[in-house]
Amino acid sequence: MKDLFTEIWESVRRNKLRTCLTGFAVSWGIFMLIVLLGAGNGLMNSFMQGGGGFATNSVSVGGGWTSKPYDGLKAGRRIRLDDTDVALTGSDVFADHVDKVSATVGTNATVSYGRKYFSGYIDGQYPSAQEMSKVEIRYGRFLNDKDIRDSRKVVVMPESTAEKLLDSGQGVESLLGKYVKVGSLAFQVVGISKSDRMRNDNNLYAPFTTVKTVYGKGQEVGSISFTTKGLDTEAANEEFEKQYKAALNLHHRAAPDDERAVWVWNRAHQNVQMSQGRKILSTALWIIGLFTLLGGIVGVSNIMLITVKERTHEFGIRKAIGASPWDITKLIISESISITAFFGYIGMFLGMLTCMLLDKTLGQSTMSVMDEQVAMLVNPGVGLDVAVEATLVLIIAGTLAGFFPARKAASVRPIEALRAE
Amino acid sequence: MLIELKDVNKTYNNGQPLHVLKGINLGIDSGEFVSIMGASGSGKSTLLNILGILDNYDTGEYYIDGRLIKNLTEKQAADYRNRMIGFIFQSFNLISFKTAVENVELPLFYQGVSRHKRHEMAMQFLDRLGLADWAGHYPNEMSGGQKQRVAIARALITQPKIILADEPTGALDSKTSEEVMQLLGQLNKEDGVTIIVVTHESGVANCTDKIVHIKDGIIGKIEDNREHRASVFGINSTMK
Repeated sequence: MKDLFTEIWESVRRNKLRTCLTGFAVSWGIFMLIVLLGAGNGLMNSFMQGGGGFATNSVSVGGGWTSKPYDGLKAGRRIRLDDTDVALTGSDVFADHVDKVSATVGTNATVSYGRKYFSGYIDGQYPSAQEMSKVEIRYGRFLNDKDIRDSRKVVVMPESTAEKLLDSGQGVESLLGKYVKVGSLAFQVVGISKSDRMRNDNNLYAPFTTVKTVYGKGQEVGSISFTTKGLDTEAANEEFEKQYKAALNLHHRAAPDDERAVWVWNRAHQNVQMSQGRKILSTALWIIGLFTLLGGIVGVSNIMLITVKERTHEFGIRKAIGASPWDITKLIISESISITAFFGYIGMFLGMLTCMLLDKTLGQSTMSVMDEQVAMLVNPGVGLDVAVEATLVLIIAGTLAGFFPARKAASVRPIEALRAE
Repeated sequence: MLIELKDVNKTYNNGQPLHVLKGINLGIDSGEFVSIMGASGSGKSTLLNILGILDNYDTGEYYIDGRLIKNLTEKQAADYRNRMIGFIFQSFNLISFKTAVENVELPLFYQGVSRHKRHEMAMQFLDRLGLADWAGHYPNEMSGGQKQRVAIARALITQPKIILADEPTGALDSKTSEEVMQLLGQLNKEDGVTIIVVTHESGVANCTDKIVHIKDGIIGKIEDNREHRASVFGINSTMK
């Protein structure tokens, strides 16, 4: 092995400038590949963060309008979800696939604290909403089971909402334990959550039971949310949705195959689309990167051809004193791989450095999309998997670049090679 | 018989077919010091290439030490060349970017001999040829005679059965030529190495013990030259 590297070094040393110029093309190719993939990852991460406000296995259900006449009732009837739907969702019928069930009911109300007030929306929720909607608590706590059981008058509000109730300069945590007026009633603030750019800022979370009782909603429920389990494929998700809709439709005397009587929004579908999008983007970037690299590989191949031409006489000597064709092939291919790998790794290193730089600059800046602040790139960069893949690409590329020149070198007959000058 | 050629024919087919060797029959014993002499175009180089397994022949048989050399794969040919034949060329054919000792080591490298061992052996051979001090020098730092001695060391290092020398003095002045021929003669006498020299110079041929004359692809006279009187210049004459 050491002998082989000595030989490669001897050869490369004689043609430093030529080797470096060729190597630059390879470095550039790998550099582009890494930067493209890194930026692509950053972009996808940014999308994911934007759409990541819900657990990927969560399903939301809402009432709709019937689209078919059924059981003596005409089409176009309004369906309102109620307690029975909630019970049905959590019943044994769907126990295989339904994990946690929560329902919401809400109403608009004026929220005030001291002289400050704003018009908000009171969202009656179950404790499980925290997980499903990924509510991040900054101070205090989220709603708990005791709040539900006792129908306590407590609220959890986002930071940005809390700020509206405070004079500037006051920390939002000072609101914890204080009472705010919601409509005509006083609710105690038990938690402050992190503001979510994707959701309405004016939403306050209160216990489901409290909102239902206080605002006289009777049996009516705004929406049902639940998390699913054991639904790994798209087909399984669709089958489950079909059965679930049929069950709810039946309860509301709507046709079992009526698609519009209740709305089911399953994030699993979105998730599949998202990961498909990610795959397509990354494939496209790989292709662009590989084509950029191709230029470098052609360059290396070209240089190896020239090297072989120049060294024909030397190979003739080597063959005369006992080098087999494979010895010669090995020499050329390993030289080609060494050049490709060496300059490739320089490119990879610089590419990763650039990704880090992107993270420090573009990664910190945000742009405004529909009045919401969205980071342009989130954690751009590539993982170890890409580094390993790129290494493989380099070795394959080096072998390819060296293959034809090596074959040419190995196939020259020793007497002809000895005659060459 | 170390080397045996039976009715060897060779034709080059470059446009006009050229029948270069027309039925060569030749036997060389182990320990002989032979020259093959002929004018240019006589087929002597082709014969040497076939003897050295650098080229193949069309019909006939060629045996080295009883082993038929025919239809070999490139790999086998390389292996036979490595183990059985040592080459000395007119233009030395040293690798320019390797030092003297590295050049001498090279045949052992292709045998897979360890780095340390082959270096040691190469130094021994260089020492024998009086070039130990020049081991670390590159070919372009040496004189023609020195280069040829490095090449001889390289040919000898695998302890081959045959040394093939193609115009070994062709690029040397008369004094160095004589030294080189004396060295080959000495190796033949002291170590019993079989040496075949191809030349067109009668002076060079005269240094050998047997002269094979080749003309137009046919072997003519085979002279016994143990008295070294074959040269037109006779005994004690200088070459060239």
